[in-house]
Amino acid sequence: MFAPPVNRLITELARFPGIGQRTAQRLAFHLLRASDEEALALADAIREVKETVGHCEICFNLATDPTCRICQDERRDGDVLCVVEEPSDVIPIERTNEFRGRYHVLGGALSPIDGVDPEDLHIVELLGRVSSNGVREVVVATNATTTGEATALYLADAMRERAPAVTVTRLASGLPVGSDLEYADEITLGKAFRGRREL
Amino acid sequence: MQVTALHLRDFRNYARADAELDERLTVVAGPNGAGKTNLLEAVYFACTGRSPRTSTERELPRHGVGVARVTLATRGADDVEHLIEAGFTPGEEKSLRVDGAPVDSLLAVAERPLVSVFLPDRLELVKGAPSGRRAHLDSLVAAVWPARAGTRAAYSRALAQRNALLGRVKAGVSSLGSLFTWDAELARHGAQLMADRSSVLTLLAPFFEARGADLGLPGDPSLEYRPRCASSTAEGLRAELGERHEADLERGFTAHGPHRDDVRLIHAGRSLRSYGSQGQQRVGLLALLFAERDLLRAERGRLPLMLLDDVMSELDSLRRELLADLLRSEGQSLVTTTDLDHVPGGRDPGTTVIEVSDGTLSPAAWRAVA
Repeated sequence: MFAPPVNRLITELARFPGIGQRTAQRLAFHLLRASDEEALALADAIREVKETVGHCEICFNLATDPTCRICQDERRDGDVLCVVEEPSDVIPIERTNEFRGRYHVLGGALSPIDGVDPEDLHIVELLGRVSSNGVREVVVATNATTTGEATALYLADAMRERAPAVTVTRLASGLPVGSDLEYADEITLGKAFRGRREL
Repeated sequence: MQVTALHLRDFRNYARADAELDERLTVVAGPNGAGKTNLLEAVYFACTGRSPRTSTERELPRHGVGVARVTLATRGADDVEHLIEAGFTPGEEKSLRVDGAPVDSLLAVAERPLVSVFLPDRLELVKGAPSGRRAHLDSLVAAVWPARAGTRAAYSRALAQRNALLGRVKAGVSSLGSLFTWDAELARHGAQLMADRSSVLTLLAPFFEARGADLGLPGDPSLEYRPRCASSTAEGLRAELGERHEADLERGFTAHGPHRDDVRLIHAGRSLRSYGSQGQQRVGLLALLFAERDLLRAERGRLPLMLLDDVMSELDSLRRELLADLLRSEGQSLVTTTDLDHVPGGRDPGTTVIEVSDGTLSPAAWRAVA
């Protein structure tokens, strides 16, 4: 329909999550309208992250050096590890400024349907860190989905075997803070009810 | 919660149709193929956003027209009126609205009545495979305890993952190690599912016994939960799954667990499924639906709207009387029939009748001539 280079750009943009054909077209025309400088800045930014950003050797978070900034930070508490599925999961936890320990990014969750086995995740590295470095507690912060829960169970079992002295904890699930009960869906509210605590 | 009126637009064989419903029994009368079942389907669709009889919803819009739409006017216990709208265009998201505001799903909406359906093909529930009874039981759990509605889906997701893993281990792609993890995940949801099924059946059983007797089902009718697993705890279930790794790997799927449960409808000490006559199975299904109505009233204070399609034709006159009394005593119901004489009191001046002929509705036109 368009010149081949434009079509190619649209096809590439349409690969992004949440971007359909129509939005891809809008973005492509935005880029065509933009100044050379502006459009090429995007291209440069993409090239730069692909060339310079890799995974931390210790925790597999995103890093521009061999290790990430959190692993380099001496003030972080090495006794507590927080295990997450993806690098993007680190950001919301960091925003809370509640957690002063270090992270371990698995790179996904167990899902036989998608062909993800324990060997495909950074579990061996996690067990290595836990059994050697004086870790006291591991907080499993995988998603509250079937695959996230199964991954948590797997990790708990593996750590019970490899590092029985380490406490393994799981994030609580329940009501979102600041929300009214009347807007909570039945399943979340039911779960919160079962997980109620004494005051 | 009652449906006071309904409006159909391009739904199945209806171009446009309006009807007002009785607060108790409304009889829908008309010849074969006039659209009686379609009318019940429309009410069900507007209450749940789904069709009770087809999974290919492309059939819902009237032939040659794109959009099917059903609007229900309902009135709650507090006398407040609400408007529920369900629209369907093939290939698009359904448009569901409550009082004009769009909603994602009608299932948890309080402004609509719960519904209970009897269609002739629902006899499968009594005489068909266990999967239908499990699905029905789980939907009853969700109706009684909406917070537990997700257990069945969570169990199914874990089951699909475990089955995929079995296939991968068998093919030599995955190692056996994480199978124990999926046993645990499956057992966690499975134990919850079994507990829910068992508690809902414990509550339902006495109502079924009473309603079975009311409707003249002989020989102490009862309900019995038949779980596949011997254990009812997550640990026990996990152990049972663990013992079957070899056999499961051989088959390539999970052969043990609550996805193989069944419920038996029993009368005279025998299974209604295997030994009941056609008529007894029909009465058994009705007793089950009325027992569920009793349960929902007891647990949630809500009487479901009963949609009964062609239920009278195969009952003897005594059971027709019993059923009609039950329907007139409480709750709201829609009953279809080809012959008004099949509904006891169907021609009484006090009975609300909607006459259906070829996709049009008219309130009891026969009365003028009779």
